[in-house]
Amino acid sequence: MSYTLEIQTKARELLTSKQVECVIGYEVGPRGRTRPAFVYDAQDVERLVWNQACTHNLTTYLNDKLNPQGPVKNKTKEHKPGRVAVVVKPCDSRAINVLLAENHFPRELLHVIGVVCDGILEKAGQSDNLRSVRELPISDLSQLQSRCQRCEDHMPVTYDTLIGECPSHQELSLGNANQADLIHMQAMTPAERAEYWLSQFDRCIRCYACRQVCPMCNCPTCLYERDDSLWVGLRIGLNEKRTFHLGRAFHLAGRCIGCDECERVCPMNIPISLLNRMLAKEVEALFGHRAGLAPIPPPFVTVLSDS
Amino acid sequence: MYEPRIIGYLCTWCSYTGADTAGIARLKYPANLRAIRVPCSGRVSPELIMRTFDQGADGVLVLGCHIGECHYDTGNHRTAKRIPVLHALMTFAGLEPERLRLDWVSASEGERFARIVNEFTEAVRMLGPCQWRQNGNSRQQLNHQDLLESIPFSELGG
Repeated sequence: MSYTLEIQTKARELLTSKQVECVIGYEVGPRGRTRPAFVYDAQDVERLVWNQACTHNLTTYLNDKLNPQGPVKNKTKEHKPGRVAVVVKPCDSRAINVLLAENHFPRELLHVIGVVCDGILEKAGQSDNLRSVRELPISDLSQLQSRCQRCEDHMPVTYDTLIGECPSHQELSLGNANQADLIHMQAMTPAERAEYWLSQFDRCIRCYACRQVCPMCNCPTCLYERDDSLWVGLRIGLNEKRTFHLGRAFHLAGRCIGCDECERVCPMNIPISLLNRMLAKEVEALFGHRAGLAPIPPPFVTVLSDS
Repeated sequence: MYEPRIIGYLCTWCSYTGADTAGIARLKYPANLRAIRVPCSGRVSPELIMRTFDQGADGVLVLGCHIGECHYDTGNHRTAKRIPVLHALMTFAGLEPERLRLDWVSASEGERFARIVNEFTEAVRMLGPCQWRQNGNSRQQLNHQDLLESIPFSELGG
């Protein structure tokens, strides 16, 4: 049975038995592009698909779905949110652990449909018809997104339903250590790096797409959009854009799960994931913490250990 | 002679008092340090440090209580975790690593305070003016000086 059918069967079962109110999954849109889908009715489960263009991180929507009242302090008892099922790739499943560790919602409200993933195509999100990409052999790593080339986790870290089996071809990964661009950057002189990043940040138009798509960027009011903020500028000055990007990367340190959605949605092609990967590496070296492997809080909110 | 502008964020309970102790002991330390008194070194957010460099500081010194001596128990634990990561991030973005330093000074360590400020000032002085600060909205406007230099002297009417 194909993954698509398995997901549809599970979604139908969950919706007809009223175990969940909504299934968040993927569908193929009218122009052949795979996009997020919200299914509320068992009749509509046919819309759900799984293919190698399922690039979106659907955990982004969980906070809105499970906290319809906004921030926790406004939640009243009579507005109890219904359960939600969500289709996740292994990388996305780590985001759930981070959100759980930060107490955004209880685990009981969630039914996680974890899908074993062989990697997402680089072309995903572009307009080509990818309706039948599942059949495509994935012998060629270069067709995959760079994050998938580095990916070592082909199994979701948390799930209620698992779709697929653990793949046997794990050698099809360059490994997490393979970060040539990062090593190249670190070998540059400070002046060269400053020049590189300024030319990148210069293109930023502050559309905040990176922030909107990020499951970890869930502050009710972003610090970089507060008009009473004293130390971050809201305008498009180069230093203000730099502060935004570096500050956002810092806020994600130890929390970013490396789904690289921010980079994918960036209309100006700013290599945001480079910052995130550098910090993830740094946090792992300093605190031995990798985001999302378990529902434990990131190192910055905990005290130092006795050593 | 080039004099670096150094901003010091001093925790009011330990390091700021440590600076006082240095003063009472009549220890000499460079006048390049502009001390800013903060309630705790944990209050110094990454945005604050980036803002300091954006405003033209040549170096930022963050001084707090020794680990285990924080007035708020664990305020400096946060500093101890945050600043190294911010240091890595800003270095990655092109800041010279010597320009940001975190250290611990207790209220009685006037000598240590003077030594740290001396060391830091000399390290920053060696680096010269900080290039972090950016004015204007884009890269093009920044290279004004380069642009001027690229125009032949005769065209400038000089």
